Amino acid sequence: MLECTRGHAPQVVGRTRRRLPRWRPALLVPLGLVLAACADKAPLDTLEPKGPEARTIDHLVNPVFAIAGVVFVLVQVGVLAIAWRYRKRKDDDGSLPPQVHGNTKLELGWTILPALLLAGVGGASVLTLLDLEERPADALQVEVVGQQWWWEYRYDVDDDGTDDIITANDLVIPAGKPVALSITSRDVIHSFWIPSLNGKRDAVPGRAHPLTIEADEPGVYRGQCTEFCGLSHGYMQMRVVALSPTDYAAWAADQQKGAEVPSGDLAEQGMELFRTTCSQCHLVSGEGGNEQTREDAGIEGAALVSGAAPNLTHFASRGVFAGGVFDLWVDQDGNGEVDPDERGQQLNVSALEAWLRDPPAEKPMYPDGLRGMPNLNLTEEQIDALVAYLETLE
Amino acid sequence: MAIVERPSDVLALPSGDVVPHDPLGVFARPRAKTGWRAWVSTVDHKRIGIMYGASSLVFLVMGGVEALIIRAQLAAPGQKLLSADLYNQVFTMHGITMIFLVVMPMGAAFMNYLIPLQIGARDVAFPRINALSFWVFLFGGIFLSSSWLLGGGADGGWFAYAPNTGVVFSPSHGMDFYAIGLQITGIASLLGGVNLVVTCLNMRAPGMTMMKMPVFTWMSLVVQVLLVFAIPVISVALFLLTFDRLFDANFFNVQQGADPLLWEHLFWIFGHPEVYILILPAFGIVSEIIPVFSRKPIFGYPFMVFSGIAIGFMGWGVWAHHMFSSGIGPISVAAFSVSTMFIAVPTGVKILNWIATLWGGKITFSTPLLFSIGLVTMFTIGGLSGVTHAVAPADTQQTDTYYIVAHFHYVIFGGALFGFLGGFYFWWPKVFGYFLNDRRGKHQFWLTLVGFNLTFGPMHILGLQGMSRRIHTYRDGYGFNFWNMVSTIGAFLIALSVLLFFINIVRSKREAASLPPPGPDPWDARSLEWSIPSPTPAHNFDDDPIVTQLDDFWHRKYGEDEQGRMVPIATADEVAMVGDPSRSHLPAPSYWPLVLAASFPLIGYGLIFNMVLAGLGVAVLVGGMVGWALEPADDEDLPPHGHDDGEGDGDGDGGADTELPSVDAEPEEVTVGD
Repeated sequence: MLECTRGHAPQVVGRTRRRLPRWRPALLVPLGLVLAACADKAPLDTLEPKGPEARTIDHLVNPVFAIAGVVFVLVQVGVLAIAWRYRKRKDDDGSLPPQVHGNTKLELGWTILPALLLAGVGGASVLTLLDLEERPADALQVEVVGQQWWWEYRYDVDDDGTDDIITANDLVIPAGKPVALSITSRDVIHSFWIPSLNGKRDAVPGRAHPLTIEADEPGVYRGQCTEFCGLSHGYMQMRVVALSPTDYAAWAADQQKGAEVPSGDLAEQGMELFRTTCSQCHLVSGEGGNEQTREDAGIEGAALVSGAAPNLTHFASRGVFAGGVFDLWVDQDGNGEVDPDERGQQLNVSALEAWLRDPPAEKPMYPDGLRGMPNLNLTEEQIDALVAYLETLE
Repeated sequence: MAIVERPSDVLALPSGDVVPHDPLGVFARPRAKTGWRAWVSTVDHKRIGIMYGASSLVFLVMGGVEALIIRAQLAAPGQKLLSADLYNQVFTMHGITMIFLVVMPMGAAFMNYLIPLQIGARDVAFPRINALSFWVFLFGGIFLSSSWLLGGGADGGWFAYAPNTGVVFSPSHGMDFYAIGLQITGIASLLGGVNLVVTCLNMRAPGMTMMKMPVFTWMSLVVQVLLVFAIPVISVALFLLTFDRLFDANFFNVQQGADPLLWEHLFWIFGHPEVYILILPAFGIVSEIIPVFSRKPIFGYPFMVFSGIAIGFMGWGVWAHHMFSSGIGPISVAAFSVSTMFIAVPTGVKILNWIATLWGGKITFSTPLLFSIGLVTMFTIGGLSGVTHAVAPADTQQTDTYYIVAHFHYVIFGGALFGFLGGFYFWWPKVFGYFLNDRRGKHQFWLTLVGFNLTFGPMHILGLQGMSRRIHTYRDGYGFNFWNMVSTIGAFLIALSVLLFFINIVRSKREAASLPPPGPDPWDARSLEWSIPSPTPAHNFDDDPIVTQLDDFWHRKYGEDEQGRMVPIATADEVAMVGDPSRSHLPAPSYWPLVLAASFPLIGYGLIFNMVLAGLGVAVLVGGMVGWALEPADDEDLPPHGHDDGEGDGDGDGGADTELPSVDAEPEEVTVGD
């Protein structure tokens, strides 16, 4: 009955999954059962915290669920028992039952008691809320920018006011370290949400909203845009990739390098094609990129409503593309969601080719309204060359 | 301060010219009593109530089909039944249809029909405005729905967050239809709100003080007050959106410095009271049904009334709980989190009072009672999940997931719609003179209950598993597959239950001929509408009822014996109203509400497609107003001694201060609000 396929869980090497003691009230008994059986395969589960912020929320919500569960059982059982106890009997003599009009003490009681209970819950909520708003001083700062229908992340590593790392879809962070996000948007309202790390926060154009996340362990944590943002809202996904501190340091160093001129004819053809065909929107910095081309043509940003398209300088270092919809790397069996350290397997060539062939067919977009990637009518040879080039952008 | 109140007989205005003539040579004052002409020109609150109900059922089918399409799309991962674009239109239109064109008018149906009957009045305060309100609503609903045929429905969600609803991001006309269509239905709600507030305050029968009004009428009064204050807020927001979209204004243009949170605040300042506008009529309905089938008075009447008023007030202080993740800052979030907690208190008081009413009663499990118990239990689930959202940090995990979808369906379907269905079964004999079959009704109840819980129960799980709302599809491997399939199966069971309801209406009507008529008081009920024949005669009450206490009609049937116990002292037929209706005066029908209402969609289409059409609409609007104003008060029902009071047209709006007609009851002064 229960649908519990394998796989798709963030695979964390050398880590035993902790099962938090939980008591789910009657309302959520089926939920508890399902989660116990299938927790491995619900990567967006809100009740499986993997970081301190999410755990704080979980600790608050568990007793609330418990209280709600008790009230639920009392009311449901009470209503049904009372209705059954006072049903009209077959041998009813037709007389009226006692005509009770009310009881002021009882009324005051069931006004004040719930109010006190809720005041307690409210107090706990407010304390937790303020707790979650604290911004750790030593946190890594990352700017998160939403636009239709993908996320960009900007890191100012040396704190000099210019962003040193600009990446997309995969937010790479060091595990065990708080990360202070500043969330905004370039077009409509989006919402950044990694359920296992913290609650969601809206990305509103013209505003910067803070949110702190932290992952206990290295791993991949999935997310989904949760504020309706138009056509491809369902296809606006993202991941947090938490690396060990040393891996993270290596990654950050790597990301600050520009692309090198690729070796190999096909990839070089791809680079030339990229410079002519993709420069209106995409940027690859470095010798092997199109910075010069764009400068010569006077292009800044992208010819889109949001003014931005994913920076592809380190395209192949990411695990997903096209707004997190498609896996960029697959294992021998064609399964996606490969961990970054287990890379070096196969590029998901078929998905990438299909994307380049006709992007709006793969993911709903409005290229005519300058929102999303248009069909560039590339030939198969051009597609092969571009794929070869993109694969070199590590 | 005490309000001195006169017997409410403003309807029976002695007025008018007995010689009919054509106003402006356009329309004779309509005279048809039967047939479609009678319906389109009616100003009778009962016919208007029935039309509200019928329209809401038609829109229920439309909104239901949209729901089934949504569920079919989501039954399995990666379905391609709908494109993302179409899906966005369907879920948006489902929400708009169900809220504005189903639940609101269904509440309006009950309120229009029942308020005058429950307070012992012949009609509402402003009968022509009542008709106008209905026609404006209907044309607004048709206008909104016609978007499907004119380029596609709205695609920005019913909450329509800016700037996603701007022309750049929503280039089709769907959002124009949304902005103008809701503006039109808002006019209808405002008209109805003013009308019914005045009706409740001014038209009560002699002796019926505020604290003797039935709970349903009380809840309706709270709803109408909420409408009068909430609708202007959404009207303002919709005007801003309309001007942005049609005339390049910059209210929500971020590049010009706009803050999109403006829309969020405006929308939810309307949107949260709207929730209580949807649910309170149903609370009123079950507050009428449970006492009748428990054979006990409502437990804690004053607490029921004041908890309703408290909900109405507190409903204004909780709107930002829809915005806990919007980035409004921790202080705002804390304040709204706590205020939201406390709105659960008066709601809980209501639930406990219903349970206490059942306690110690002699309960008959009729279909209306089953639906009422359904409301108490299902709404409790929605209320409890609501408390979990009030915990703001938890809400940042829950908001915009299917957990919220589950919550508000438990509130609006498990609450409002269950109450309305119970109300249909309860008042059907009063309205149409025949019973809806109780056995089929019980089948429908159980099918609805099972289908409802199968559809929306699993959404709690899906939401906590992280399934976002408003996504047109989901991928395999997220743990969403099984419960989505269950939910889809449940949705089709609900569709079956609605079908069963329609079948029950038709077959019960057919079977009614061979069954005894229900008589005035088939349920041994308590309020005034049961003291008059079923179906209700056109003039409602032969004489003005004189009210001395709460549940006055019931107390005419039952009195104390020597030991102080309540025992039957008269049958319903004995105390049912017998009087002389010949002197009763009814407001004259009119075509003008229909004409006036027709101008709004014309203006709407004109604004979207062609300004010439809008000009025509304005001409009809102005012409309609002039025709309305100049319509003579000719009325063949008037007593021949009539004298002209100038503009007394039977609406009571022009001549409420004219002399009182003679009634059997001596006018007495009644102190209200002490």
